[in-house]
Amino acid sequence: MSFSRSGSTTHWSSIKLALRQGTLVPLLASTVAGAVIVTPVLIVLWRSFTTGKLGFSVGLNLNNYLRVFADRDILKMLGNSVFYAAGSAALGTGLGAMLAWIVARTNTPGKALVELMPLYPILMPPIMKNIAWILLLAPRSGILNGMLQQFFGIEALVFNAFSMAGMIWVFGLACVPLGYLFLLPVFLSFDPSLEESAYIAGSRPVHTMMRITFPLAAPAFLSAFVLNFLRGLRSFETPVLQGTPGNIKVFVSRVYDSMALEFNAGLATAYSVVLVVLSVITLYFYVRATRFSERYATITGKGYRVKVIDIGPWKYVTFLAVFLYFLAGIVLPFVVLIVVSMIPYFDYDTFMSFPSNAVLNNYYTVLKHPSFVTGLYNSLVLSVTIAIVTVLAGIVMAFTIHRTRAAGAKIFEFIGTVPLAFPPLVLSVGLVIIFLGTPLYNSLWALGIGLFVAYFPYAFRNASGSIVNIHKELDEAAWVHGARWRHVFFKITLPILKPSVGGALFYIFIEAIRNVDVAVLLTAPGKEYGPVTLFEYFRLGQWAEAAAGGVIYLIILIVAVSVAKFAFKMKFSL
Amino acid sequence: MSIIKVENLSKLFKDTKALDDVSFEFEKGILSFLGPSGCGKTTLLRSIAGLEVPDTGTISIADEVQTSIAAGILVPPYARKIGFVFQNYALWPHMTVFSNVAFGLKLRKTPAEEVKHKVLSALELVGLQGREERYPSQLSGGQQQRVALARSLALEPRLILLDEPLSNLDAKLREEMRVELKKLIKKVGISALYVTHDQEEAFTISDAVIVMDAGKVLQYGTPDEIYNHPAHPFVAAFVGHATIVDGKVVAVDSGVCRVLVPEFAGAMLISAAPKQAAPGNLCKVVVRNGEIRLSPDKFPEGTENVLEGVMTSREYRGGLTDHRVQIGSKEIVVTSHKLCPMIRVRGDGDTTFLSIDKSAISVIVGP
Repeated sequence: MSFSRSGSTTHWSSIKLALRQGTLVPLLASTVAGAVIVTPVLIVLWRSFTTGKLGFSVGLNLNNYLRVFADRDILKMLGNSVFYAAGSAALGTGLGAMLAWIVARTNTPGKALVELMPLYPILMPPIMKNIAWILLLAPRSGILNGMLQQFFGIEALVFNAFSMAGMIWVFGLACVPLGYLFLLPVFLSFDPSLEESAYIAGSRPVHTMMRITFPLAAPAFLSAFVLNFLRGLRSFETPVLQGTPGNIKVFVSRVYDSMALEFNAGLATAYSVVLVVLSVITLYFYVRATRFSERYATITGKGYRVKVIDIGPWKYVTFLAVFLYFLAGIVLPFVVLIVVSMIPYFDYDTFMSFPSNAVLNNYYTVLKHPSFVTGLYNSLVLSVTIAIVTVLAGIVMAFTIHRTRAAGAKIFEFIGTVPLAFPPLVLSVGLVIIFLGTPLYNSLWALGIGLFVAYFPYAFRNASGSIVNIHKELDEAAWVHGARWRHVFFKITLPILKPSVGGALFYIFIEAIRNVDVAVLLTAPGKEYGPVTLFEYFRLGQWAEAAAGGVIYLIILIVAVSVAKFAFKMKFSL
Repeated sequence: MSIIKVENLSKLFKDTKALDDVSFEFEKGILSFLGPSGCGKTTLLRSIAGLEVPDTGTISIADEVQTSIAAGILVPPYARKIGFVFQNYALWPHMTVFSNVAFGLKLRKTPAEEVKHKVLSALELVGLQGREERYPSQLSGGQQQRVALARSLALEPRLILLDEPLSNLDAKLREEMRVELKKLIKKVGISALYVTHDQEEAFTISDAVIVMDAGKVLQYGTPDEIYNHPAHPFVAAFVGHATIVDGKVVAVDSGVCRVLVPEFAGAMLISAAPKQAAPGNLCKVVVRNGEIRLSPDKFPEGTENVLEGVMTSREYRGGLTDHRVQIGSKEIVVTSHKLCPMIRVRGDGDTTFLSIDKSAISVIVGP
């Protein structure tokens, strides 16, 4: 409802007006959600300006920052963070764009398969990809170095998972689907007349592609690149599992070390704030990039038939390219995990003698292990609950902003987006500080709240985008025909939002169930979280158990995705 | 009892006055708000529906106060017992035609049998029987329009508000629906407020018209009054098909005034005198294009308001033709009907004589 209020005079207090319009309930709900989101954010900022043990305050000071900037490695760490994030983003977005172009514009055989192959790797939780690639690329015990030595007699340790290149390779592969998903629609719904007019002006196909097609896709590429860069800055598993052993420090791993190993909340939050500043700068560029791409809007509502280019025998090369990504993205890591999960313990020789030494011991061990079973159970229950709660709260907040006349509702726009600037690990640092000493510490509530805050922006922005697209008149028509706000919300807004609600639910479920970086600081004995348990196994060197747990996890995920796909007729896209 | 009464309604959007001290009262029938886009007519309608809150003023429907800023009364839209037809119909895309029409009835906890009966009779009224199970997207624009109407009528509101309901239809369908809509509203016997920017539509459909500009009511009257006696130069210009020139009242005598028009080479015109006219007043002279005689020859001595000019061009419009005649420094448009015997056409560049009945001229006092 556009109850646009005149700026000059306010005749009633906004609460009275909200009551009269019956919008107090969404306003209150949004305020509660907003408070939950803002608290850890503010705590992190506050805590970075004070020293002293957790739970005690010694007044505001700058000691943490002095320590952070006196750190001799700070510049190196900054360099590492940026290089790692930019490298992964470049690799992932570039590869994703190439795959998108192959799928959309070439006559590569096996279209149906080729279209989906770049997406399947999304299914595998990042922690499992890290584990698998470490098993493959580890310098001494790694499978690939072992093979080079055994079959080619190469003694040098060619591959090193614990190097910058290793980190960029693993996280870069994880960045491919986003690049693919951002660029596929651009290549698919490209207005053909833009290319046709170039042909008519005398441009040959290759020239046209270089001068017209790719430049017009540049803004979308830039958006995907910056978003992947931001994901790199925030990413947790790769820096901690691969960077730390190789002594390549980035901000996320430094925050983790200060909090989990040194228990220095002040230092952890100060490093966090530096990281947040980096994220904010990145987000600013993201907003700029998206605006830029809106100005370049080549995509219209018209259903164009894109011209597919006959690339001759090259089509087999392009097919191979897609297939190779599919192999590296999911098949190879999956096979490695399965094999490792079925050998008694992991080393190169035992690995190579599979399947003669196949055992199911690891599965028994893992399934008997209470921390795995409760972790699995908790992660399932929590991710379903959190998906529902977060999506609903996101819709209510978007509804409050765009559909009620509550004064000051616009501030939720900011609050709902704020966690995007806070890497999930940083949010959980904030929550640990808040909950320490309260009954909520070491409870599933803490975990749930952490996941809620971390994923809220996705639910909120998704709902906002969809609600804005629903004509206001649809609400107003309900109003004048006798509906109160709750009728409007439940009978009009929610049903119309159904398709996007389904997508958001599914996305948050998938993200939450594989989450490590929020949960890692908030788990406790008896309150384990599945992916964190795998993370711990791996850190303790129980690689075979970690692999077995990972396989069980992946099977459950695949079942869940299939159920979602068939039961809710959901399209497989993220 | 008046179905609608509005007193001193004002609303500011940022710096622009969307409504500027609007007051009027309407007993019953169909009332149109006519004006260009941005004149405040839609804001007025939405304020009456309770979808906008004015800054000041009072709105009463059927003698019950609905909005009163001074008294702190603001009846929410869902309790005003009105119908509203939106410009883009605003049919809920996830509901069938039946559910769309039944929506308000179900909210009122009407028994299922009665809901069904009322929905079906409303759909029959608008000629859409048998389409209950369709979704809005499966209907044509005209049919969606009817569903929107049925949705409002099914609730048996005391007043129905229509916001440019025909503007999304193509020209031919618009003219058909215009007549049909009027018949329908009269048949149901409900009062209606109708927003439009099309003067022809306003004149065909309504019992009374309010012409608005820049948030102000410029004139309130029957279509005939508005057309033949525009009270404001803007009304004359908007309602259309007239040439408007500056003049000066020279004399007023027994209901007739003489006006000097310098732009018509200093011609003197006579017309019915407006009430407040006095010699020396500056004024606007409105000459309706369709009520002028043209002749290649001089008119007999004693003919009213004779002018002499030069034909500059003609535009053929099918049944009608516009003739542009230069008189002094001003061009005047004369519209002739194909069969009209009053006009004998001449070629371009020829001298032409015009005669205008005093009933075809309106004088509006004011600079």
